[in-house]
Amino acid sequence: MTYPEELAELIEEFQDIDDKMERLEMVFDMADEVIPFPPEHWTQTTKVQGCQSEAHVKVELQDGKILMLSGADAKLVQGLMGILSIAINGSAPAQALLLSPNFAEEMGILNSLSPSRSNGFRNMFDKVMKEIRILE
Amino acid sequence: MLVALRDDFPILKREVNGYPLIYLDNAATTQKPQVVLDAMNEYYTSSNSNVHRAVHTLAGEATEGYESCRSQLKEWFNAERAVITSGTTEAINLVAHAWGRANLSEGDAIVLTEMEHHSDIVPWQMLAEERGIELRYVPVLEDFTLDMEVYAASLENAKLVCVVHTSNVLGVRNPLEKITELAHSNGALVLIDAAQGVPHERIDFQESDADFMAFSAHKMCGPTGIGALLVRPEVFETMQPFMGGGDMIETVTINGSTYQTNEHKFEAGTPRIAEAIGWCAAFEWMSKLDLRKEHQRLIGIAQWVANELRSMGISVYGRHDAADSAVVSFLHPSIQSEDLAHLFDARGIAVRTGHHCAQPLLHRLGISGTVRASFYLYNTMDEAETFIEQLKYITERFG
Repeated sequence: MTYPEELAELIEEFQDIDDKMERLEMVFDMADEVIPFPPEHWTQTTKVQGCQSEAHVKVELQDGKILMLSGADAKLVQGLMGILSIAINGSAPAQALLLSPNFAEEMGILNSLSPSRSNGFRNMFDKVMKEIRILE
Repeated sequence: MLVALRDDFPILKREVNGYPLIYLDNAATTQKPQVVLDAMNEYYTSSNSNVHRAVHTLAGEATEGYESCRSQLKEWFNAERAVITSGTTEAINLVAHAWGRANLSEGDAIVLTEMEHHSDIVPWQMLAEERGIELRYVPVLEDFTLDMEVYAASLENAKLVCVVHTSNVLGVRNPLEKITELAHSNGALVLIDAAQGVPHERIDFQESDADFMAFSAHKMCGPTGIGALLVRPEVFETMQPFMGGGDMIETVTINGSTYQTNEHKFEAGTPRIAEAIGWCAAFEWMSKLDLRKEHQRLIGIAQWVANELRSMGISVYGRHDAADSAVVSFLHPSIQSEDLAHLFDARGIAVRTGHHCAQPLLHRLGISGTVRASFYLYNTMDEAETFIEQLKYITERFG
């Protein structure tokens, strides 16, 4: 899988770290990268279902480019939202849809991204992609 | 002694993320000693065959292995009837279908508690909807115990009381003797969900005076996919078959069928033979332990952990009395539970987060989930100390 340059650099950076706790700390730091989606705007429609933590996303188009707003109570989920934001914000929908969720696994953050597993990140990724398809 | 016991569990030698595994998710499932793995492997290697209707040697060995599990269950729990199921959930569903449908009708009431696992709520909700049965829930008080006054008052016209032996979230062991006595004096039968009770306490089913008791093998060092329903003999006779098919029939004609009269009546289809043989090995392995002494050791560890957590300003849900199980549920004031579980995992420590399939209880507690550390036979005080040390480190770094 070829990733956008910024994401590919991030994956490499993550892969250089042996300690999982350090990798998690890096993901937590990525939580600041999200475009905030304040809790007062959270609804059942914006909720990421099947997620252990409370997580919400909203995808908009601004001048034909993706703008993902997101928020979660778990730093790990919000950090992954931050990484996804880096990967897709400002992209054209067709380009964003090419992204695979495997980058989280390649970064050594999550062990399994099986769709059958109650996995906050996978559910969030799928919801974002579904919304992009609707906007496309 | 504990070192030798730990040696029986090959999985405990592994590392997770570069750290020795500290497995504290025992309330979800326990690890399996080598003898259980060997017994199941031996069955598939040497005796694999279907049980009951065949005369060849392998079928005889498989049948003997499977039925030995039933004998073991009856002996271990002092029970006269032991139906082998896929686990606690199927055992409770079996009561709902096989006893409930035959004995409950519109206007009857079932008493449940807010402490129940979903497996002891949902089957009754389904039956209640189908039959117009009233469900009454006994509240959980602030001290994490059941409101016994409400319980006593809820028994009028009740036909069944369903109560969890020990809460999988709080570790609280309920006053089952009192609950059963009150239920029976009001004419109601009693079902005990003992999934979290059997790993910690040697239960005498007849002495408990309960009518049904459901539990799983995998919470007591046995395999997954197998459990049992113990039933009082008089009640057993009032149960009607639930699933139809092989093994549960006596004769089948195109005009109808007759059924077995023993436990096979409720064990349609090829049963869990390897799992039954594995469970037998687990019973044999556990019979060498002083379970009461082990329980005292484990509740001591849980009490120490709970006190350490409280001293760190962490909310602990549970009281950890002598008879309670070694389960410590808590919420960190500044680190979200899922994040905390990932951070523990980074240090090789396995804990569980979420609603633990007990959403009504968590709703009563005003929370949506907890982090749960649950201790079992092979856990040591050293592991508990490492758990607390790591939590302090994580709190300092991420809190």
